[in-house]
Amino acid sequence: MQNDDTNQRLQSYSRRLFLQRASLLTGMVALGGGSYLFNPKGAWAAAPIKVGIATDLTGPISWGGIPNANVAKMVIEEINDHGGLLGRPVQMILEDTATNEQLAVTRVRKLVTQDKVDVVFGGITSSMRNAIKDTIVNRGRTLYIYPQLYEGLECTKYLYCTGPTPAQQCDTFIPWLIKNGGKKFYLPSADYVWPHVLNKYARKVIEANGGEVVGEEYFPVDHNEYSATVNKIMSSGVNVVFNTTIPPGVAAFFKQLYEAGFGKKGGRLACVYYDENALNITPAHEIEGLASCLDYFKAVNDPFGNKVQEKYTKLYGTKNPMTAGSASTGMWRGINLWAESVKAAKSVKREEVAAALDKAKLADGVGGGCEVVPGTWHVKMNMYTAVAKNGKYEIVEKSKGMVDPRECVKA
Amino acid sequence: MKAALPKIELTLLALALVLPLFLDDFWVLFATRVLILGLMALSFDLVWGYAGIMSFGQALFFGMAGYCAALLATKLDITSVFVLLPVAALVGLIVAFIVAAIVIFGKRPPNLVFVALGTLTGSYVVERLARGWSYVGGQNGIPSLPRLTAGSYEISEGPMFYYMALALLVLIYVAVRILVRSQFGLVLAGIRQQEHRIAFFGYATQNYKGIAFALAGFVAGLSGGLYAFHEGFVGPGQLGPVLSTQVVLYALFGGVGTLIGPIIGTALIDLLGYFLSQLWETGWPIVLGVLLLVIVMFKPTGLIGILVSARERAGSFGHPRVPTLEPSPPVGKEATRAVAERST
Repeated sequence: MQNDDTNQRLQSYSRRLFLQRASLLTGMVALGGGSYLFNPKGAWAAAPIKVGIATDLTGPISWGGIPNANVAKMVIEEINDHGGLLGRPVQMILEDTATNEQLAVTRVRKLVTQDKVDVVFGGITSSMRNAIKDTIVNRGRTLYIYPQLYEGLECTKYLYCTGPTPAQQCDTFIPWLIKNGGKKFYLPSADYVWPHVLNKYARKVIEANGGEVVGEEYFPVDHNEYSATVNKIMSSGVNVVFNTTIPPGVAAFFKQLYEAGFGKKGGRLACVYYDENALNITPAHEIEGLASCLDYFKAVNDPFGNKVQEKYTKLYGTKNPMTAGSASTGMWRGINLWAESVKAAKSVKREEVAAALDKAKLADGVGGGCEVVPGTWHVKMNMYTAVAKNGKYEIVEKSKGMVDPRECVKA
Repeated sequence: MKAALPKIELTLLALALVLPLFLDDFWVLFATRVLILGLMALSFDLVWGYAGIMSFGQALFFGMAGYCAALLATKLDITSVFVLLPVAALVGLIVAFIVAAIVIFGKRPPNLVFVALGTLTGSYVVERLARGWSYVGGQNGIPSLPRLTAGSYEISEGPMFYYMALALLVLIYVAVRILVRSQFGLVLAGIRQQEHRIAFFGYATQNYKGIAFALAGFVAGLSGGLYAFHEGFVGPGQLGPVLSTQVVLYALFGGVGTLIGPIIGTALIDLLGYFLSQLWETGWPIVLGVLLLVIVMFKPTGLIGILVSARERAGSFGHPRVPTLEPSPPVGKEATRAVAERST
């Protein structure tokens, strides 16, 4: 999703991550990244299939990168427990991209040129994806799967995006907001790529559904004085605040909006990157009624998702939870889709796996099944609208079937 | 130990020349990156180690040059190495000159802290602006740069790029070495040690510092251009204080005021970071950070100070019988003293 700053700020709210933050300081000093080999257990006759995972284990986004790596480890162990792929074990090679694009290129190069991995998963921010994609896909001739929710517009052959796109986060959500909030929208935003692109799409959907955008404003990410904006919102009878400001600015904004009585007067606050982790940013009463739309919440309570959550918690504890906002669900989906494609293609060659991946499906998964939309490198999935109540999410709507990502479609 | 520096320099050069024969693909890429960043560390050594200007803004010249070259490549489809690298170096020179006009030139000599904070602020501001400017890709930067070409030949990463980077590094290294051992360099060294005294001799010290600063910008710009095309992307991180600080550390770790020290520092920090990270997945930055701190605190002349005497570091200028100046560039306690002196 989002960007370095969101996560950087999100993280600052978590005391337990203090140590990682301290390591950021020294991380600035340091160059280099982690590389960890996870050899499949047991005796295997065949040479392993190599999977490269490049994610931010250190630095400001480590809160997202660590669960990403955990999920990857868990899924790959599962694959090996079921006999591997094509009779071969799967070996995972983990690289720390350290929330540093400069360093990441070298780390990813190692995966591609030295380890000669068959596929790379990873990257959380769009800037990270942009930095490493060329090294993997064009210069490295390797398949790349990017797991995070993001602003869309990434249409690169052999680069598959398994997180939600603006269409998936708006198409069911905005009609629900109009029904459960009202027609007048206000779009306060942080000034960077994701909010700009998302708002452009959101505006289209709002207007197509008979709504109206009263205002759209962009602030620096750490802006903390919103009284003019809050006044405008309160005086112009706005029903829905569709927020894309991010931490740390978002905490001040939500507080000022709450104090002005926006929620009490029936206003609806909406924010599409809010997952279980984000609930800790502000006191629960300030965001009572906040609505979010993601591909998975724990509250979805689907048997499949519960099983995966249970296993994840058993293996890695609750310190770095598996949530949709940190790309964990996208990682889960990505590895499983790829594994199915390898089985279908009976090969790990890029061309053949990509051809199979283009029509890959999962019958069931975390939050439900999913399928790749052929020729678009994006994935259709179920989307859920949830509302925060007393610091917990309640699911209020499920999409009718899978939602189309609407990316890379030729007009 | 007499004249250890040339021995170190020649040994490393010989090593660098044959290195790609013994390394596999990944390590050639790794070494190329070290050469390119080493070039940037060299630019920092020129300003700090010789002219005594604490620049926290080398990434600014590095990144701006990278961005300009990347824009030429993506918007105008220019990929010729003979256009892009000179442009990158020139951009570095011009930007550094503009920054010098603000923080160095002027009626009164600026103090060390003013220049350090001025350059740091410049680096920070430009990074932030780049993050918000959609023409240059905002925070996503400019991905998927084409490869550099020489005529119809495409310079792909690997031995080819390695030798190009090495050739440029050696060329610049020799040029800078001649420069700092010239009369000009002597004045710079004088400024570094005692700026007021040099001013009493009638030298326009700020002009000397400004020129050194701009030349360092030229070197950083060239390095930025090389880096962009070697890595295949530019992003706002290449402009910011994090990279600027990193370069300072490369230089301090290796040993400033020797030219070769910062290059050794670059190689060692990169290698250490790489291997430490294999030992402790989430704790490696802490270990590396502590290690750097220890070196900078207890061996302020850097690792090269183990091999090279203080007398040799200061160097000899012109006629061999001219007595050398007070040794070693201001680091550690001396830097603090220099700050105190300059701000009074």
